[in-house]
Amino acid sequence: MTIQISDATLLDLHRRMVRIRIFEEAAGKLMEDGKIPGALHLYVGQEAVAAGVMVHLDNADWITSTHRGHGHLIAKGGAFDRMFAELFGRATGYCKGKGGSMHISNMELGMLGANGIVGGGPPIAVGAAFSNKFRKTRNVACTFFGDGASNEGAFHEAANMAGLYRLPIVFVCENNGYGEYTAQANHQAIVDIADRAAGYGMPGVIVDGMDAIAVYEAAGAAIERARRGEGPTLLECKTYRYYDHVGVRGMGLKYRTDEEVAYWRGRDPIRLLESRLAEQGILSAEAAAAVHAEVTYDVQAGIAFAESSPSPDPSALLEDVYA
Amino acid sequence: MGAPRGIVGIIANPASGKDVRRLVARASVFDNQEKQAIVGRLLHGLAATGAREVAYLDDPQGIVRGALEGARSDFHCQAVTATRTASALDTTSAARAMRELGCAVVVTLGGDGTNRAVALGWRDAPLLPISTGTNNVFPRFVEGTIAGAAAGLVATGAVPIRRVTRQRKLIHVAIDGEPDDLALIDAVLSRERFVGARALLTPEHLVCALLTRAEPAAVGMTAIGGLIEPLGARRPGALWLELGPGARIVEAPIAPGYYQDVGIRSHRRVRQGETIEIEGPGVLAFDGERERTLRAGQRARLRVEHDGPRVVSVVRTLKRAARRGLFLRTQETTPSQSEPSNRTELE
Amino acid sequence: MAEAQSTTRKLPYVAAITDGVRAVLKEFDNAFVIGEDVAGAGSVYGYYNGLLAEFGPERIYDSPISEEAIVGVGVGAAATGCRPIVDLMFMDFMGECMDEIANQLAKMRYMFGGSAKLPVTMLTMAGAGASLAAQHSQSLEAWVCHVPGLKVVMPTTPYDAKGLIIAAARDDNPVIVILNKMSLAMTGEVPVEPYSIPLGKANIVRPGTNYTIVALGRMLHEALKAAEQLKEFGIDAEVIDPRTLQPFDTTTVVESVKKTHRALIVHEAVRFGGFGGEIAAQIQEEAFDYLDAPVVRVGAPFSPVPFSPALEAHYVPNAARIVAAAKQQLGL
Repeated sequence: MTIQISDATLLDLHRRMVRIRIFEEAAGKLMEDGKIPGALHLYVGQEAVAAGVMVHLDNADWITSTHRGHGHLIAKGGAFDRMFAELFGRATGYCKGKGGSMHISNMELGMLGANGIVGGGPPIAVGAAFSNKFRKTRNVACTFFGDGASNEGAFHEAANMAGLYRLPIVFVCENNGYGEYTAQANHQAIVDIADRAAGYGMPGVIVDGMDAIAVYEAAGAAIERARRGEGPTLLECKTYRYYDHVGVRGMGLKYRTDEEVAYWRGRDPIRLLESRLAEQGILSAEAAAAVHAEVTYDVQAGIAFAESSPSPDPSALLEDVYA
Repeated sequence: MGAPRGIVGIIANPASGKDVRRLVARASVFDNQEKQAIVGRLLHGLAATGAREVAYLDDPQGIVRGALEGARSDFHCQAVTATRTASALDTTSAARAMRELGCAVVVTLGGDGTNRAVALGWRDAPLLPISTGTNNVFPRFVEGTIAGAAAGLVATGAVPIRRVTRQRKLIHVAIDGEPDDLALIDAVLSRERFVGARALLTPEHLVCALLTRAEPAAVGMTAIGGLIEPLGARRPGALWLELGPGARIVEAPIAPGYYQDVGIRSHRRVRQGETIEIEGPGVLAFDGERERTLRAGQRARLRVEHDGPRVVSVVRTLKRAARRGLFLRTQETTPSQSEPSNRTELE
Repeated sequence: MAEAQSTTRKLPYVAAITDGVRAVLKEFDNAFVIGEDVAGAGSVYGYYNGLLAEFGPERIYDSPISEEAIVGVGVGAAATGCRPIVDLMFMDFMGECMDEIANQLAKMRYMFGGSAKLPVTMLTMAGAGASLAAQHSQSLEAWVCHVPGLKVVMPTTPYDAKGLIIAAARDDNPVIVILNKMSLAMTGEVPVEPYSIPLGKANIVRPGTNYTIVALGRMLHEALKAAEQLKEFGIDAEVIDPRTLQPFDTTTVVESVKKTHRALIVHEAVRFGGFGGEIAAQIQEEAFDYLDAPVVRVGAPFSPVPFSPALEAHYVPNAARIVAAAKQQLGL
């Protein structure tokens, strides 16, 4: 049975997506302005996936993320101030400035880290799911990865082990059509990552990753299956990232056509959800604008917190290497 | 056998057989490798009849393109101009292009939803549907080799297509202020609010259904009617069901591996051409999938006509071919025995 | 520190491993073993024999041959509240899972600003001498010692095997326990009760006065033989087993060298770029003025481990080569 979505959940979905969008737009600008050191991989365009999955989870459910991981942490409940502080490399960041964008994490929220290694997440999530089962909890693990990561041995080993042990895990593939700058057609022989599930004894299904409600329904079914002890699922969400592999304009390479970008932007997940919510009288245009305004304020407050936060003391360099 | 004159259209839907009904229900999975293998066998069947002209939807996976590249026979093939949205729109626009191209027959790989998308682009397309979908009331499970032979026989004219096709019923859907729509098997109003993951899986939300076919031996909404008052594809008219808490409950397989109790308030036969009006709010589902939302007070009019796709019967086509001895020939007495003979291709 | 050790009995190294793992499984409800052929087969070297029967399939898991996923289970399970023992059948297989070891297991705590704890014990088998050739015989401790976040121990005796495994499991950090396949049959006294050997503390196995030998892993036994042979040259060698390579007990080694003024380091690994270079560097940094001769390293030549017993015998360092190197160093 599909999970019937309540108005409260719809508004929750919407807010999580808007939080991701406005955070990422601001972060991208800060990076391009040279205020954030290092590399940022922006999640803009893919918000429906993180939100649609995460509304089913609580803090005791684990996720692993990717190098494009801010969205996952925000959807899991990440606070803007500590997130921006981390991106700025400040002592008040979630990782005390030691992880940065690519390793942002928070154990209390059940977020086992963004990961700088493509395919780094699935084996860890399998470990978390193993732990859930070993400790006899009803918690699940969700691992986010992309079409590119689905070519990594780590994904295949992890999927096989999850299938073998019937672990409570959902493999959420965010298929955005590109592994860095290489189009999917040039990096794998298939278009549907879901097809790979059969090889690991689990169902593989496809859902429109731009449609938060569709993701919500499909993820709900997969997560419930995992909670019932029926084993793993591969959930492929067809989605798109609006910006470059790194940053907003990135290296300025022309590897996608304007038409293609325009097509996907025409299916913007936030606008799509907002128009549906308006149609159903759940969220008026004014109310939606108010959410954007509130979130924008929170983002600005988060940036201010980060900017006024101290950098880590050099003495912190050697802390946390070992317990 | 016949000259290679008619074009065979091929639409293999890469997305068929992959939605959430694999999780909630127990629908089978059709991976694209299997679909490509089916197309490969289809091409082999086509070649056996001498058919050489192929037009196809070039899907992102390259299901048909890959099968053509792997085919041992030469085909004159062309990819039709279609959208590339990785959605049902691509199927619809490909069907429209195939109509313009004058395809003799269109072979589809998909389920009810795929064939509905074809009908949206070419309402009365000459269709040979192969089932690779979830709900498969419209298409049949048929071996690709034989489907290919049947398609080849009608495309080349070796078997007159008129003699082996039957036109199917269609539900015409007119929605207040919005584009028309259609359904091949069933149109259902559900009290759900969103199209979402599309599958129609919650019986408590079903309000009413119009069925062109009520099949007791099929899966989907059609089974609800089929288990009350069966109605075949060839019979005129349709069956109208009002659903919800009522005097009777029918236990019906509304999706593969998914029997559910459905409350029946009333049912009646509907004449061809009779218009039924329904009113929102709700979601309109066609052929098992949520497709359109109706706002409160927004109305939709449903009408069954016998003007849908013309479906080729594989069995009847091959029976006619057999009666005419199309696959038979006498032992050739060639002067040189060293010449290889026995090519699979006839003609 | 060692706990009350009332009763001891003679055990082979292989059984001491089992004893150590058994003690860990008894001590920690959240501990489990996962690896290739660890349950039904008891591992290819038999060091988990009997544990499946004793603890059941919910504590000992046969895994697919998927080293990356095995270590991944260790990382994910440890971070979320378990105390896993992951088995990497041969150390050479680290190539299959180096990302999990070096990029995930070792770094997660630091990258997360100290919020994650990774109490993973990894048992793995190193060492040449069994004609297992280039991919099943290596000693790759230098690879893992180079990665901050990991601890590395090399048990040389049955006593150490049990004690270091327990110590590794009780530690809240990832600890790689490098076992030696040629030591499996050697016997020694092992206490019945659980005990732990402190990590980061070297063991002066043979006290001496005028020569220091630092011997890693199985080379300890060759070093002890060499020490006996060197006696006739008036050399009274102190033989040190570091036991833990990471963190390394520089103090014990340096104090010894300050006393003896000469040092030789021996390990089974390839000499070039081996861990001996690090020890030598530390000695010259901390005790340069005390040295009467350059520090000497004995290790394997710069080649893959050969298959043929005839070649392998020339490959693995032994007492004779230690003696020869020492004599050359001392101009004897």
